Amino acid sequence: MSPRSETRVRRFTPIQRLFHIFLMLTFLTQGATGLSRMYIQTGWGKNLAAVFGGYASALTVHKWIGILMICGFMLHIFYLFFTVKWNQAPHVLFGPDSLIPGPRDVKAFFQHLGWMFGIRDFPSFDRWGYWEKFDYWAVFWGMVLIGTTGLILAYPLTSTRYIPGWGLNVAFWIHRIEALLAMAHVFVIHFFIAHFRRHNFPMDRAMFEGSVDLDAVRHERPAWIRRLEDSEALDPLRVDPASTGFRIFSYLFGYAAILCGLFLLIGGLVNAPRITW
Amino acid sequence: MKRIWRPFKIAFCIVAAAAGGDLFLPPAATAQEEVASAIRRYKDREVSTGYYERYEVRPRRFKPLVEIPGVRQGVFPYSPSAAAVRIRHRLSDSHAGIPFYKDKTCASCHPGQTRDIHTVRGNITCRQCHGGEPIASNDFFYSPMNPIRRHAYVCAKCHPGASASFAAYVVHAPNPASPGTLETFPVLFYAFWAMVVIAVGTFLVFLPHTALWGIRELVMKKEKTKGVPTV
Repeated sequence: MSPRSETRVRRFTPIQRLFHIFLMLTFLTQGATGLSRMYIQTGWGKNLAAVFGGYASALTVHKWIGILMICGFMLHIFYLFFTVKWNQAPHVLFGPDSLIPGPRDVKAFFQHLGWMFGIRDFPSFDRWGYWEKFDYWAVFWGMVLIGTTGLILAYPLTSTRYIPGWGLNVAFWIHRIEALLAMAHVFVIHFFIAHFRRHNFPMDRAMFEGSVDLDAVRHERPAWIRRLEDSEALDPLRVDPASTGFRIFSYLFGYAAILCGLFLLIGGLVNAPRITW
Repeated sequence: MKRIWRPFKIAFCIVAAAAGGDLFLPPAATAQEEVASAIRRYKDREVSTGYYERYEVRPRRFKPLVEIPGVRQGVFPYSPSAAAVRIRHRLSDSHAGIPFYKDKTCASCHPGQTRDIHTVRGNITCRQCHGGEPIASNDFFYSPMNPIRRHAYVCAKCHPGASASFAAYVVHAPNPASPGTLETFPVLFYAFWAMVVIAVGTFLVFLPHTALWGIRELVMKKEKTKGVPTV
């Protein structure tokens, strides 16, 4: 068997994949503990809270995992400090390798829409699609917003020294709506795009394995591959496929996360009329 | 040698004290102290504004009874027909004169006050905060619920160290979506609707977008997958 039976190109570094796994685990925990308390009036919420030791200890878990998430977010900021080639700024910040959105992404969005209706060609995506940039900044903004309001709510005695007590009411609703938006977006939009559309079904292996099939990515992100070939940067990025064991594990892990997410999504939707908002 | 370090020690103490805020501000009020006024929320460091609401000063000769502000002062007869003119905010027994009071529950007259987190999720009963009979009005000077001491007498029972600012949390929070909240709690109203607009806007764009994308890939013919191949 030739090791090059499938040519794969590295798309995510190990540390980026670790960040993603960290985010998956903490996000699902926060979603489950948060929803268990929000839905504590229902049987579904009570059972969910029981997993974390009940109504009170679900909050303890929620707070500590929240603090862990904030630490992870800080680490990510540090990571950006050391990873972005600041000596090439600002040019590099708006280049094709950057996650910062630009006019190109707006154009690609509309061309992609046109392609969906069959009236335009498939856009020539570069390294990051506009939906991927949106996902990244949605998490970034969500971390800031949910993290800040979460800290305010977790330490009300301290935070009300700097804001009036009614700020807690405001922080609570911002925290809740942003969290519901984040969960709904991940459990519906992100899961569908990364797993259930025909192109990726049953799972986009890029985020766990770190690499993508060269032929596939040449069609989906032609601008990226062309750019790599032009600058002769493609060959260093070629990697071997992951072992079968790793792939099985990543499928199990990914689908476990999907099941958890769908459980929270469906349970939350079904039980929404039964709680006092 | 020790003398050399003394200025540094003094400087360190000054900096530490200033950092603690104790040098320039009054000391932090502990939960057991009343505050001078609830008008200006001074966090837990009390600096009086010199301006007081009536419920913040000890009542002397005037009777904290019913009145229509700016219209009429004095005692009104309690009768069903006078219900509209009862303003019970400053009464020692805010339920005085209510017919068949004994047969009612709190929720039968205050249903909107039973839908908040303290009641629904925390299982706090009304009496745990509002006390036993007679239940004084919040603005009655001697009421434990008076904002000048609410933090100490009520909130601190479950939240040790609660400050007056902490007690400004709106326990019976209004429905943030309702138009009435624009009047009573505008910040909550605007924050809520801003977040809802962001959330709904995201889904208005991405739900149809993602659905269309999925359908497009599904109905693509095999030869056309050259544009977007399967993995």
